[in-house]
Amino acid sequence: MNPIKNLSVIRKLVQLGAFLLLVYGSALGSFYLADKITGALPALSCAYDMNGSDLCALIPFQHQMDHRLGPVINQGGDILMGLMPTLITLGTFLIFFVVLNKAFCGWICPLGTFQELVQILGQKLGLQRTESVDPGVVQKTRPVKWAILALLVFGFPLMTGLGYLNHDLGDPFCKICPSRILTTLANGDASQLVVDSASTTTIVLTLIADFLFGLMIALALTVRQPFCRICPMLALHAVFRKVGLLRLVKEASPRCGKCGLCAKACPMDIKEIHTEMVKKDVTFEDCTLCGRCVEFCPDKDVLKLKYAMFPVFKADPQYFKVRKKAQSVWEKRTLRSLFSKTKQRGVTEP
Amino acid sequence: MIWLNYRPALVMFTALVVSGWSSGMASAQTQGAAGGAEKKPPAQAMQHNRGPKRLALSNADGAVVTLWKPDLGKRELEPKMGMITLPPTGVDNYHAIVVERDWGDSVDAIVRYEYMRGKPSGESPRKLTSAVKTPVEVVPDPLPREHHRYYSRAEAAFILRYRDQVLANHPVVLQTSNGSSVNGVSDSEGRVVFQIPDDFSDVVPGERDQRGAELSVSTEYQAEGVQYNSVLTAEYRVSPEHWQSKPWGVAVAGIGFVFGGFLTRRIARHKKGGAK
Repeated sequence: MNPIKNLSVIRKLVQLGAFLLLVYGSALGSFYLADKITGALPALSCAYDMNGSDLCALIPFQHQMDHRLGPVINQGGDILMGLMPTLITLGTFLIFFVVLNKAFCGWICPLGTFQELVQILGQKLGLQRTESVDPGVVQKTRPVKWAILALLVFGFPLMTGLGYLNHDLGDPFCKICPSRILTTLANGDASQLVVDSASTTTIVLTLIADFLFGLMIALALTVRQPFCRICPMLALHAVFRKVGLLRLVKEASPRCGKCGLCAKACPMDIKEIHTEMVKKDVTFEDCTLCGRCVEFCPDKDVLKLKYAMFPVFKADPQYFKVRKKAQSVWEKRTLRSLFSKTKQRGVTEP
Repeated sequence: MIWLNYRPALVMFTALVVSGWSSGMASAQTQGAAGGAEKKPPAQAMQHNRGPKRLALSNADGAVVTLWKPDLGKRELEPKMGMITLPPTGVDNYHAIVVERDWGDSVDAIVRYEYMRGKPSGESPRKLTSAVKTPVEVVPDPLPREHHRYYSRAEAAFILRYRDQVLANHPVVLQTSNGSSVNGVSDSEGRVVFQIPDDFSDVVPGERDQRGAELSVSTEYQAEGVQYNSVLTAEYRVSPEHWQSKPWGVAVAGIGFVFGGFLTRRIARHKKGGAK
């Protein structure tokens, strides 16, 4: 298959470009926070990375709860004024979010890219892959991202601002976010991969963060997008997904009930893409708009990625055939198979 | 299957609340006991010093003190009783305080950058550092990023500048209020990198230490018959490396990795069992 016509290859190239820009982009003159591209990016680009060109929206939200809204409520001030910075951040977030919708997860997020690269590594090492996570587990996992968004991004920082929790819980999500450790390590800075004994809270937070980082890497070797499933950014995207211009659209055909290839292709194991027969907008809360379901849909025009009213990528039987073949070839090429081929050659050659 | 489930998240939230609540309430109780009947716990943000910043200045007779805003707007300040009070400017980000005293055949200058709070200024600190504020300057390259600071053990870089030209191969000295002194020479681009001395006394390993001290980076230069003595001053703090352990961090990440491996094996076995 011509790689330029392969959506997954195009997406990988975009992801790598975004990774380089977001993790090493300060070379473009964006060292200071005031120079960052958005200051409220809808993807996990970390503020702790001194060489990053942007920072995700979750860090200003936490700071505003802790340093602005909490103290304003405590002093009996004007709550609207206390909320104003949060509304400005949300507005900035939305301006960018409208453009790409949840594709910020599937195409831009450095942590998402890293997990996909680790998964490719696992596949090439010949590790046994878990193609689909058990539907029961998927269902039970879904609320976790909402809980993290509600508690770690808004709840605990607000409680800290109100004085009920200690200051070390002012930005608890950042303290456990694997993107913080990943992006700083990617810049040769190991200062975030530590156990911090400053207080009981920092000990707990750093233990969780380090453990989660190791766990994420191990899981990503065989399971698709393990951290994305509990990421609060995915939850925040889900709240506003109706306003995004890019969408996943389905025109269900009678064959949809039997096929299910789209759900198997989905890295987030959203089986509703396959079972939904009524709704046209199938940009579900866990969807990252990666487009794999469209690639692996064998029926013409059943699944589409649409930008506003315009289809940008449609399911096509011809594309499906070639793409499926290319996928099989790609999956067969592992280090184990390469090693056994070399060994065989060694045996047959005199 | 215990992974990717809500139970670990529940354990995590509980651990955080317990660890955060206990010390939060302890501080609330302490304040309550000291200050009488306080109904509301004190807001953490109140612990930040948000009043006007004050800087001590000695032997300042005849000196001109100028406050530079992020947009390069200037305002003259009047030292009182050896103190400079920085008035709120309404905007956030770094401001520069420039103290100059002209002796005729020599000019002494002190430059200090202070982060001030307010509405977003929309200006990059780069604008402020690039501006020529006094003929000879020691310019941070870069300034510690917003919400960050200088720490002992960390490297800090500076550029030596005479008006709009860099001073290459020029001597410069870093001194701290803890008594350390480090000599350096700028490179061909006028840049010098120092490792800030780890010179705080009685640091207890493993315990957070929020003490601060002063550092000054000074240089001298003669041009057109005038001797320029220029100093950059800044605060630096105890390195967090004293209470942060990297080996333990790597070990915990390793445990997470091993645990993840164990889980994936379990899933694989579970799937195989299901397939049979």
